[in-house]
Amino acid sequence: MSVEVARGRFAIFRDQYAELMRSAFLVDLQYRASIAIWLIWGITEPIISLGIWWSIAATGAVEGYTREAFARYFFGVALVNQATLSWDAWNIDRWIREGEMNYRLTRPIAPIHEAVADNIAYKGPTAAIILTAWIIAAAFWPAVRVPFEPGRWTLALIAIVLAAAIRFLNGYATGLLAFWTTRATALVELQFGISLFLSGRIAPLSLLPPQVVEVAQYLWFPYVVSFPVEILTGDVATFEQYARGFAGQLVWLAIWMSLYLIVWKRGRRHYGAVGG
Amino acid sequence: MRRVRRTLIVLRAFWQLNWLEELQYRGNFIASLLGTVFWLGMAMLTVALYFRHTEKLGGWEYWDVVVLLGIFNALAGVVESVLRPGIGHLPTDVRSGALDLVLVRPVDAQFYVSFRRLDVWRLADVVLGLALAGYAVAQTGRSISAWELLAFVVTFAVAIAVVYSIWVSLMSLAFWFVAVENMSALFDAVFEAARYPVSAYPGALRFLFVYLIPIAWTTTIPASALTGRLNPALAMWAMAIGVAALCASRLLWRIALKRYTSAGG
Repeated sequence: MSVEVARGRFAIFRDQYAELMRSAFLVDLQYRASIAIWLIWGITEPIISLGIWWSIAATGAVEGYTREAFARYFFGVALVNQATLSWDAWNIDRWIREGEMNYRLTRPIAPIHEAVADNIAYKGPTAAIILTAWIIAAAFWPAVRVPFEPGRWTLALIAIVLAAAIRFLNGYATGLLAFWTTRATALVELQFGISLFLSGRIAPLSLLPPQVVEVAQYLWFPYVVSFPVEILTGDVATFEQYARGFAGQLVWLAIWMSLYLIVWKRGRRHYGAVGG
Repeated sequence: MRRVRRTLIVLRAFWQLNWLEELQYRGNFIASLLGTVFWLGMAMLTVALYFRHTEKLGGWEYWDVVVLLGIFNALAGVVESVLRPGIGHLPTDVRSGALDLVLVRPVDAQFYVSFRRLDVWRLADVVLGLALAGYAVAQTGRSISAWELLAFVVTFAVAIAVVYSIWVSLMSLAFWFVAVENMSALFDAVFEAARYPVSAYPGALRFLFVYLIPIAWTTTIPASALTGRLNPALAMWAMAIGVAALCASRLLWRIALKRYTSAGG
């Protein structure tokens, strides 16, 4: 393939993406009231956890976590969770059940790109809203201020993007199991439940029993919420911690990417055989 | 009186049809049961995690909180089996104009919309939740007096009334905000907070849950009855709140319904 052809293909791909993102954003804008509700829904879990830990820490720090540290941690969770949430399995389930997958398969661009564009168009603005709320809260409430370190924030941003990619591919690949079973979304919910603990959504990982943390190290869960949050709060500080975190993210990104490719290839063939 | 009887006859016919329909999906029963057991397990682990780092949660011991968790699950079962499939469907009906078909029926619209469906399999959540509450009460080593049991039954009924009123109120908003299709997510969001005794929250949140979004009355009060924390005055207050919530939501429903102009309007 000559350079010009490659460049031409890239330009087409870029234009397709821009168009997908534009239309996803316009749809979101139309449903802004619904999105506000999803935002509220998303932040209640960290608020409730913070409320409980705040009360528990009334008598003193919990394993080093003061009330203020909990507040910073769960503000971080609210932000990272919003930016990395994965709901595509439910869309895929509907696409396959109601036949909406059919016309998506005839498009020159794989359905996953529509989902990616959808995710970017949704998560960018909504995460920005939470970030803004955080900044406003920090103006009045010193507890939730994190130190001003642009370098650290840049690394946190990279970690959040990687985390979003892992969680997205994880949810998407699991969701594609809908080609074979009607209960693919249940598998996603199962992982969602486990991630309450292993991702650090309900408490910082260091408050879990050490054996549980040990197991979590070998899974993708800690890298999708806990790691980016702890960069923001300053708990990830040494070079070794950064290296381990980013290495874990890259490994799991590769794993879920491969799993997606496998499931997509086989599932499409399976679907063609049944629905064809 | 005749109107009430007529409504009941219509409902019975609907529930029978429902039952026959559900019987075809027995696989759903196992799936929903497994789901409930899984989420109950996660909830108990969460409580256990809190108790790794504290002796008491808002003055409640571990098994007291589990009593509350069982009640929470039972209430969630009521939501999933009756409210979500029934009144939870209202926004869709308003948008599509399907509500016309309800309004022309000779039954009370609110009553009919609320109780038109019965997702029988999810009733297992109610049984499971109450069983967990009973088991946890046994673990606390307390013996329940007849009065306490009566207080529990009454306050649990109040809890159902409050949850029902919240649903009616939220769903009535659909008449104003026709485009909002996920109003029920608002309920899910705040109801999450009812997993723990209201005393376990900091002051501001506690105020919110007691006075503004009255979910404190849904789980904390019945659980108080079973753990010896309920005094008669509080029980009276709970009943008053239950009645007030039902009346207020009825009023809101009536005002909202006046706005309905069908889908073409």
